[in-house]
Amino acid sequence: MTEPVSISLTVNGATHDLVVAPRKTLADVLREDLGLTGTHVGCEHGVCGACTILIDGAPARACLTYAVQMEGHELTTIEAVAKSGELTPLQRALTQVHGLQCGFCTPGIVLTFEVWLRDNPDPDEAGVREALSGNICRCTGYQNIVKAVLAAAAEMRRGAGA
Amino acid sequence: MTAAPFTQIGRALPRKEDARFLTGAGRYLDDIAPKGTLTASFVRAPHAHARILAINAEAARALPGVVGVFTGKDLALWTTNLRLAPPIEGLHPVEMTTLPIDKVRFHGDPVAVVVARDRYLAEDAAELVDVTYEVLPAITSAAAALAEGAALVDDALPDNLVSHQSFSAGNPLARQTEAARVVETQFDLHRHTHAPMETRGCLADWDRGREHLIMHIGTQAPHPMRSALASRLGLSENQVTVISPDIGGAFGQKIALYREELTVAALARHLARPVHWREDRLENLTAASHARETRCVTRAAVRADGRILGLELKLTEDFGAYCFYPANYMARVIAMILTGPYKIADYAFDVKVVLTNKCGNGPMRAPMAITSWVMEGTIDAVAHALRLDPLDVRRVNALGPADLPYRMATGELLEDITPLETLEAVVAAVGVPEFRARQKAALAEGRLLGLGFCSVVESTTYGSGFYKAAGIPGSGHEAAWVRIEPSGAVNASVGLMGSGQGYESPLAQAVAEGLGVMAEDVNVHMGNTDVAPYGMGSRGGRGATAGGGTLFLCAQKARDKVLAIAAGMLQINDTEGLRLFEGRVELMRGGAWEPTGLTLADVAKCAYLDPTNLPEGVDPGLDASLTYDPPPMTYSNATHACEIEIDRATGALRFDRYLVAEDCGTVLNPIVVQGQQQGAVAMGLSGALYEEVIYDATGQNLTATLADYTIASAVEMPNIELIAMHTPNRRTPAGIKGMAEGGIMGAIGVIAGAVNDALVPLGVSAQAMPFTPPRLRALIRSAGSGAPDIPRKERP
Amino acid sequence: MKPASFTYHRPGCLDDALGLMATLGVTAKPLAGGQSLGPMMNMRLARPEHVVDLNDLLELDFVRVTDAVVEIGALTRHHRVATDPEIARALPLLAKAAQSIGHYAIRQRGTLGGSLVHADPAAQYALVAITLDAEVVIRSARTTRVVPAVDFVQSIMTVDLAPDELVTAVRFRRLAPAEGWGFEMFSRRHGDFALVSVALTLRRDGHGAISNLRLGVGGVGPVPERLAVVERDACRLAADVGTIAVLARQAADNVTPEDDPQVPANYRRELVEAVTARALTAAVLKTESPS
Ligand SMILES: Cc1cc2nc3c(=O)[nH]c(=O)nc-3n(C[C@H](O)[C@H](O)[C@H](O)COP(=O)(O)OP(=O)(O)OC[C@H]3O[C@@H](n4cnc5c(N)ncnc54)[C@H](O)[C@@H]3O)c2cc1C
Ligand code: FES
Ligand code: FES
Repeated sequence: MTEPVSISLTVNGATHDLVVAPRKTLADVLREDLGLTGTHVGCEHGVCGACTILIDGAPARACLTYAVQMEGHELTTIEAVAKSGELTPLQRALTQVHGLQCGFCTPGIVLTFEVWLRDNPDPDEAGVREALSGNICRCTGYQNIVKAVLAAAAEMRRGAGA
Repeated sequence: MTAAPFTQIGRALPRKEDARFLTGAGRYLDDIAPKGTLTASFVRAPHAHARILAINAEAARALPGVVGVFTGKDLALWTTNLRLAPPIEGLHPVEMTTLPIDKVRFHGDPVAVVVARDRYLAEDAAELVDVTYEVLPAITSAAAALAEGAALVDDALPDNLVSHQSFSAGNPLARQTEAARVVETQFDLHRHTHAPMETRGCLADWDRGREHLIMHIGTQAPHPMRSALASRLGLSENQVTVISPDIGGAFGQKIALYREELTVAALARHLARPVHWREDRLENLTAASHARETRCVTRAAVRADGRILGLELKLTEDFGAYCFYPANYMARVIAMILTGPYKIADYAFDVKVVLTNKCGNGPMRAPMAITSWVMEGTIDAVAHALRLDPLDVRRVNALGPADLPYRMATGELLEDITPLETLEAVVAAVGVPEFRARQKAALAEGRLLGLGFCSVVESTTYGSGFYKAAGIPGSGHEAAWVRIEPSGAVNASVGLMGSGQGYESPLAQAVAEGLGVMAEDVNVHMGNTDVAPYGMGSRGGRGATAGGGTLFLCAQKARDKVLAIAAGMLQINDTEGLRLFEGRVELMRGGAWEPTGLTLADVAKCAYLDPTNLPEGVDPGLDASLTYDPPPMTYSNATHACEIEIDRATGALRFDRYLVAEDCGTVLNPIVVQGQQQGAVAMGLSGALYEEVIYDATGQNLTATLADYTIASAVEMPNIELIAMHTPNRRTPAGIKGMAEGGIMGAIGVIAGAVNDALVPLGVSAQAMPFTPPRLRALIRSAGSGAPDIPRKERP
Repeated sequence: MKPASFTYHRPGCLDDALGLMATLGVTAKPLAGGQSLGPMMNMRLARPEHVVDLNDLLELDFVRVTDAVVEIGALTRHHRVATDPEIARALPLLAKAAQSIGHYAIRQRGTLGGSLVHADPAAQYALVAITLDAEVVIRSARTTRVVPAVDFVQSIMTVDLAPDELVTAVRFRRLAPAEGWGFEMFSRRHGDFALVSVALTLRRDGHGAISNLRLGVGGVGPVPERLAVVERDACRLAADVGTIAVLARQAADNVTPEDDPQVPANYRRELVEAVTARALTAAVLKTESPS
């Protein structure tokens, strides 16, 4: 049907029943139908990374996904990262070392690295830069983002060791 | 170094805005959508230059969900033309309609607008709008624009040379006859675009009952935006409110009132419905605003020891099709400040700006970006021609402490800058002899290492005096208010609007310092023209000096009143010996500050709620407002150094080290300043090496996606080592100088210096950016394998 | 930049998907990771009437390694190919190639089948498949056929696939333990499509000389190509620096890149030389006996 279809989406643990056009991107549905405006739209062709969210725990471009596809999947957006208002080590490190300026790229970066750091708990700078290459930041020059990710990794290792 | 008289200024406070940005709670333009909002989508020209013969929108209008399709003719009924006619000699006045009516002038020019229920439908309809064109010859280079008989980009002008100025001080030609050598050098900086991660957009809401327009728009300059909107819509300035939400980057692209935004505002009024428009990335890269594309040629008359006796500059800028700014605006600054940190009394320039069939130019972070490359590249060329050490040529020409204050040949006044000091600081940090040894050893293996230096004198804050001297209408002053509420809470406002710089903390620090409270207790409100005083907005590096300086002075004014009231409450005769510190009133006794028991809240309570107890002559309430006009120009300075390696086989360039010594005077917040320095350098390097707006010979834009307009990723960018230096400016409040653009100037210049240093053994030099691998490889190839001093030893 | 309308179908198994493809024919496009189709649809360069979502076909997400063959399902994501321990052992060349595709988030969604069918001239998978003489398994409601990768990839974004067919798997020959391999590429930015990429495998004969070279080059023509002349001439050459230089030069002489104002043909040819030299060096090093 090109006509709107009924779907149910599980986002940040809550289920929502929606009626959406099949062509509506997940980014637009999250933002417009669910009011989750922390997912940003910067290019709509997969390059900038601003729209990155988690699908079943893996980072993915919300601009290259249609909301209709997402029934039965668990979605996580930036709004759910700081559990009950408490910033994660990565979010804390980003503000401590000034790893964000305009903040438009930030949600995509946070979500990418919340997952990446789980798989790569002891990263080196080159590894962080490689993983960051899928998120364009026009403001910071990346240096402080890299620094923040490394600092967060160290912090998380300390936390895990304790 | 400042002798730390400050307790709030200079604190490394984390930014207030971070918490909301990190949790997805920022509010950017797209995050605001009143019920019933309609969406606009523009129909754009597929040709670079074509006459519009007919527009048929029947099919589009018939689509369900479409509210209307409008063209330039409709907009002409509701808006006035933009006429730019500053009285500048050699600058043609220009005028444009809100949307083109007769012809389109670049690939992406908006010809019609669809308003529909949502963007999906709007795009469906936009596809159905049928425009008949008669294609005209496309002008795609400055040379073509200036050729005999070239087609006119703007039919109302006699030719495509929209602006032409020249200037001469002293006698540069005479210096050439006296010189040991005249060295000519060419510099080509390519077309860039700002590409903020959040593209342009707006949400216009017409309040039919009050006859009032509320314009939500990410703008660096809310009040000038309001003036422009009111004037072009035929409204009074008291019928328009501009509200800027959080902005996802701007870099100069969000200052002018562009045609799309004006169109959307007019439609909201016409339809009496809120209308939203968010530019998509294709539009942003092809049709928002471009920048740079400038060729400079210098001729330096030099003595045998490298001393520059006279200098000539010829500059040509390809401005694109439309002027949203006076066409001489950016080029003129380059010419005015070219000589930068060097003593050059005999100086002449000739500056041409031409129209072509490309997206119009505007100021992009460091509109004068090419300046330092041109000056330092000229110095390097002089050193090369005379076989001198480039550092020695810098030293023999540099302004030393004894030369300051220094009036440049163009009349610009330099004071409290430290170019020799920053140069020597990076020279020492690099370890030049050690690098040269490494370079030599590498060359023996056939590897190309290069080291570049670039000194920057950055014009940061443009005072009214500068505009007056440049003949550009406008002011450089700024306005602020500081209000202590009855509870003692501190609110403040200024006419700036940040777009990522992180103003909220540093500006709160300026207020806190001037008033005598903790920065955490100050809230600075920006971006709403009903709240903020009329200011000139954020552009250049004026935020700290004009914005921070005005707030600092205004807070001092408020503090004076606080202390006057406190003196009355304490029954002391005058405020001498009283201070407000961290929100408490203190008294000097026996050489030490002692508490008085009074707090700012007590004073505020008295001021608002118990005015009969105020000292005589003191009015109730506690608010202060103030305007401040900075000196005609303030300058920061820096020296960049970088070490690179170029892969001979592929032309790929790798950074080994990047250093900056920067003197930007008093720093409001070192965290924020460091972030600006890193960000500016990265933007400069990305531009010099990776980004380029490319048009083909027919004027088709080939770089409409972020896969084609290639902004550097984290993998390509180096870490930047910063050496901070802080010589306060004696003429600005708190000694602030401003910064944030010089990093781009330095990056462009230093990468060119390093590349050309690496290429010296091959006897070739790079003059045209971007320095892409194919370009560098072509230079290496052109040197051939028989290049002078290079061994050819293959490494597997 | 919003896609045109389409009708969405979400088959739960391969048979249903094939049934839909049979009914809908040319009006339908299968959707896998969406990392190529998504941008094309958003820009309206692709506007299928029907979209058949393959993401529920879990039977197409598999890695099967036998003694001779590594068979990978069409829906297997790049990230899995890049990190699967069995692939790392049996076909490290493919793992390395997959690691270099786009970026971390792109690799979580993009699939092997989608990449092969999209057939970008510079795509990693097509290059590796052609270099290793892989076979593409294709199914429709009518039939199953197996096509050599070199025949499957026909031109830029053109493959040998009927409107009702789906790619279900790709069969790679497993590398022998003694086999050396190299994968190298040159791109403008990290994660961009390659300007030139090279995949190769080789062995060493009893005298340490090169034998059985397979050399594929991507990014220079409409499809990745094998350089048969170089493969033949490499046979029995000593595996040393001199040979590597000669073969790399020969590779460059045997490609005919298109001229493009941004990337001139002669530059691309030089890249072929440089990148081939690197890949050969890597492969030779892997076959050095640890003496
Ligand atoms: C920023 C970015 C960078 C990238 N960089 C690279 C890179 O460096 N190298 C690279 O190779 N790729 C790169 N890609 C593309 C990426 O690898 C894609 O994942 C891949 O090209 C397509 O796979 P997909 O699963 O996403 O397919 P889709 O996009 O879903 O589909 C692609 C095409 O294949 C068809 N199709 C999909 N599956 C099947 C099937 N099983 N049978 C028949 N037809 C099918 C679709 O109909 C469509 O025509 C990049 C993409 C992005 C957004
Ligand atoms: S908006 Fe999705 S990647 Fe840019
Ligand atoms: S902080 Fe502005 S784009 Fe990253």
